[in-house]
Amino acid sequence: MRNTPAATPTATGRPAISSETLLNIDAIGISFGGLKAVQEFSLQLPAAGLFGLIGPNGAGKTTVFNLLTGVYQPDCGEIHLASRRLSRRKPHEITAAGIARTFQNIRLFPDLSVLDNVRLAGQLHNQHGLLSTLLRTRSHRREEQVLQEKAFDLLQVFELQDRAYELASNLSYGHQRKLEIVRALATNPKVLLLDEPAAGLNPREKKLLAHSIQQIRDRFQVAVLLIEHDMPLVMEICESIIVLDHGVTICKGTPREVQNDDRVIAAYLGSGLTDD
Amino acid sequence: MSHSSPETNADISNAEAMTSMPSRFGNAWTALIPIAIGIAIAMLLHFLLPSPQKNYYVKVAQITGIVIVLAVSLNIVNGMTGQFSIGHAGFMTLGGYMSATITYYGSMLLWGSTAKHGGFLGSGEWLFAASCLAGGLFAAVAGYVVGLPSLRLRGDYLAIVTLGFGEIIRVVLQQTAKVIEDPDVLANAGVAELVPPPLGGSLGFSGIPKYTSLFWVYAILTATLVVAWRLKSSSIGRAMISVREDEIAAQAMGVNIARKKVMAFVIAAFFAGIGGGLFAHSTGAVSPKDAGFQQSFDFVIMTVLGGRGSISGVTIAAILLTVLPELLRDFEQYRLIIYALLLVIMMLVRPQGLLGIHEIWDLWPRRRATVPAPTATSSVASLPTPSQELK
Repeated sequence: MRNTPAATPTATGRPAISSETLLNIDAIGISFGGLKAVQEFSLQLPAAGLFGLIGPNGAGKTTVFNLLTGVYQPDCGEIHLASRRLSRRKPHEITAAGIARTFQNIRLFPDLSVLDNVRLAGQLHNQHGLLSTLLRTRSHRREEQVLQEKAFDLLQVFELQDRAYELASNLSYGHQRKLEIVRALATNPKVLLLDEPAAGLNPREKKLLAHSIQQIRDRFQVAVLLIEHDMPLVMEICESIIVLDHGVTICKGTPREVQNDDRVIAAYLGSGLTDD
Repeated sequence: MSHSSPETNADISNAEAMTSMPSRFGNAWTALIPIAIGIAIAMLLHFLLPSPQKNYYVKVAQITGIVIVLAVSLNIVNGMTGQFSIGHAGFMTLGGYMSATITYYGSMLLWGSTAKHGGFLGSGEWLFAASCLAGGLFAAVAGYVVGLPSLRLRGDYLAIVTLGFGEIIRVVLQQTAKVIEDPDVLANAGVAELVPPPLGGSLGFSGIPKYTSLFWVYAILTATLVVAWRLKSSSIGRAMISVREDEIAAQAMGVNIARKKVMAFVIAAFFAGIGGGLFAHSTGAVSPKDAGFQQSFDFVIMTVLGGRGSISGVTIAAILLTVLPELLRDFEQYRLIIYALLLVIMMLVRPQGLLGIHEIWDLWPRRRATVPAPTATSSVASLPTPSQELK
């Protein structure tokens, strides 16, 4: 089969990661009024890397995602995706360049069908003009056909094909979370930003999710940046972890390094008596 | 089909697509078939039914057709793209004045009189058709300008801007000069007579030749419905609906929301302008007060009653809300009460509108292949589940 390029894992069970930096975030920051939500955030995400972004509530994790996807413009710093500058670009341009995201609070298009949710994301790279749409030209119909097939392929991978014609709002919570990921993948991204994909899932579903995130990375050859509160999940699958607290990066390293870092423990559990 | 290898299968299915597509769909001209059928039906109606000027029911049918054009076009902005515009009558009136100016002064210059010129599909009717098109284009330009604030404003705030637009049109049209009725005066008119333009002021522009017929109304209605449906069922329509559903998610999925909003405004205004031209040439008069919000509100009610983005729903609502007041003429004094009561009941019982987000043909169960036949392109397997890990 053609679509399994990463089926040759190394001895460690993970495919070899190219050291080449795909997403280069260089000291971005943003303030809201007097609040420095994110300061000097830097990250070099390699192609097909799987990195975690953790931190206590309000640490600025989702703000980092919003900066990366152009929802907010950074006050300072630069973002490059494979040497292409993305800072101060519009969100749809950034998506077209290859960064896709999911949302912490599910943001599907509730009144569109599951299939249309995926097709909408998939149509990004071949948009036809108004005239060919209104005249229903042959190329227009063929592209719609291809779009539909691709969407079904993707739905099939995630076993959602039987729900294709249901409204997204009628899916169960777990399926909606899944569809968010499918929709993001349909934009054909190079980098996938997952914002708390395990929120609200039961332990069994979390287990499946952890597995499928790795599968997604291998199969679609995307770099994944994951925000998650579920520590066992993050520690299990991430190669490298960045810890944010109050907008400041307090630690970077492998799961083991992060787990033993005093500042991380202090951020999560408080620093005890020395704090007062 | 033999599944020898994915590659050969791909070739086969591609070849099939290449050969079967032209025979099934032909070239772009065949895409005009629905419109051709619509024109044929419009022509039948035109010749089989009595003239609207003579028959009351035919007149109602004609007005209903124009109202559907306006309601369905507003539905592109309000229903599909989710922008709340209450200035649709402004676009309609702009188009009406534009086309009225062209036919009125055009026939005066061409034929020396403002009376109807030529018979069915005669030169006068073509002037009228061109003037409606010009009215539509003029309104579309205005739609572009009004669409721009929609990039920064949402909900109520955008509604106020569009409301203001309608009122501006009304006030500006009130400042125009008297209509020139004498061809000789027009021929010798200088700047003084033409500035401000002689469009009738607050009394309105009357004496417009009554070219609108069932044929033109239903031909244009067909075009409007075809365009609305093709938009809705295409990637552009999907993108518009995604803007309505969730702007932030739409952007994140690569939708240029600014473009889609302005596009919706321009297309809607274009058809509103054409509808305005039809109205002007049906009653023979346009008036600045047509641009007011009351008229706009009628169209908004139709889109709400029909269902968000539902073309068939809005069509039904437009028919109901045009025919119903006519039927209630016997209860003249209670008419508005009944009308308002119906709306209140509707909002209590079925707030999503008659058809909600669906089209009327969705009500019939349809056989759909949930999974397309395994083609070469869909040769993917699902992600393996770590069943052993779960134990």
